[in-house]
Amino acid sequence: MGVFMAASVCLPVHAAGQNTVTVKSTRDPVDKSYRKMIRGMERFERERAFAPNATLRFQLLPRLPSTDMRGITLRISGDTVSVPVDVDANNFFVLPRHAQALQEDAAVLASRKTASMTWRARIETPGLPEGTRRLGDLRLECRVGKEAGLVSNSSPLFGWISDALNTPEGVCTSPDGNYLFFAERPIFAVTLRAGERVETLPFNMLYAGGEQTPDMLPFCDCQVLLDRTYYVPLWDASWPDDTLVEFEYMDDGVTP
Amino acid sequence: MRLRLLLCAALLAGCATQPAPPGSVVAAERLSATVVAGRTTKAELLAAFGPTKSVRFDSGYEAWVYQSPAGGGQFSEFVVLIDPSSVVSKTRTRAAAAP
Repeated sequence: MGVFMAASVCLPVHAAGQNTVTVKSTRDPVDKSYRKMIRGMERFERERAFAPNATLRFQLLPRLPSTDMRGITLRISGDTVSVPVDVDANNFFVLPRHAQALQEDAAVLASRKTASMTWRARIETPGLPEGTRRLGDLRLECRVGKEAGLVSNSSPLFGWISDALNTPEGVCTSPDGNYLFFAERPIFAVTLRAGERVETLPFNMLYAGGEQTPDMLPFCDCQVLLDRTYYVPLWDASWPDDTLVEFEYMDDGVTP
Repeated sequence: MRLRLLLCAALLAGCATQPAPPGSVVAAERLSATVVAGRTTKAELLAAFGPTKSVRFDSGYEAWVYQSPAGGGQFSEFVVLIDPSSVVSKTRTRAAAAP
């Protein structure tokens, strides 16, 4: 929010001066660039060393309390092409490759309103213990997610700042990168385990840092998933890719 | 113009590095003696320790965090989960980070 306010202060400088910002696209924030998502898939292939046995899917997640996540349909839409994409019951999907859609700079469109959803890459190594993720999978999720332009912030200004300042390298290799992950259920604790080394993450790595106020939440794509939100030390090479990320949930298996 | 741009850059940098309030400081012994999962209420927490850093969720749950001195300038964390009926449902302690 501080960045948002500071940037707001900066805007009159640009408006009063000679600088001109050209907006090249008014694409709806909930719609994604097919080219960008394919670039994310290519990055997954290039950097599989983080997660050699993992598979890549994409996931749709709610942003508003009113978002109905049942029965969502998805299609790749260009000037002349329209390709349906299968979405499973948990709102995961695999994006097909389509040469004509790439050439037409198609969009990936979901059957929901603007800013009602956010998107993430989901990279999973099979066979992990229940209630765990693997740090290398999350490192690659961050890179693929940023490359694919998946984070949906509702403010155009936020998007502008994000585009200007946040590269996959900057976000995924910096302690200040703050790439948000979402657990399956509301979390109470997140613990890293690598061999004998075990550390529980500090409170400020849960719940989007614990700093979101009601006024700020609409600008975060964690808006309705705040209790499932966590950061992990993607940047910290002392934690190997095989580190297990273990979750203690609020509900211990019973829906609160 | 240049000065104004520099001012904006300084504002951005300042906001980005502002530290978060860490939560109230309470001795670990007081916390463990006072807070009992399934029994202690939010009102009792407030009466005993005052307000602290907390997050309230749409589900009605709240997470509160306290800091406890652990020597050498380090602090452990004591995290409390409060359920929608305002009763503590879980607690946990995170040891102080290694110096």
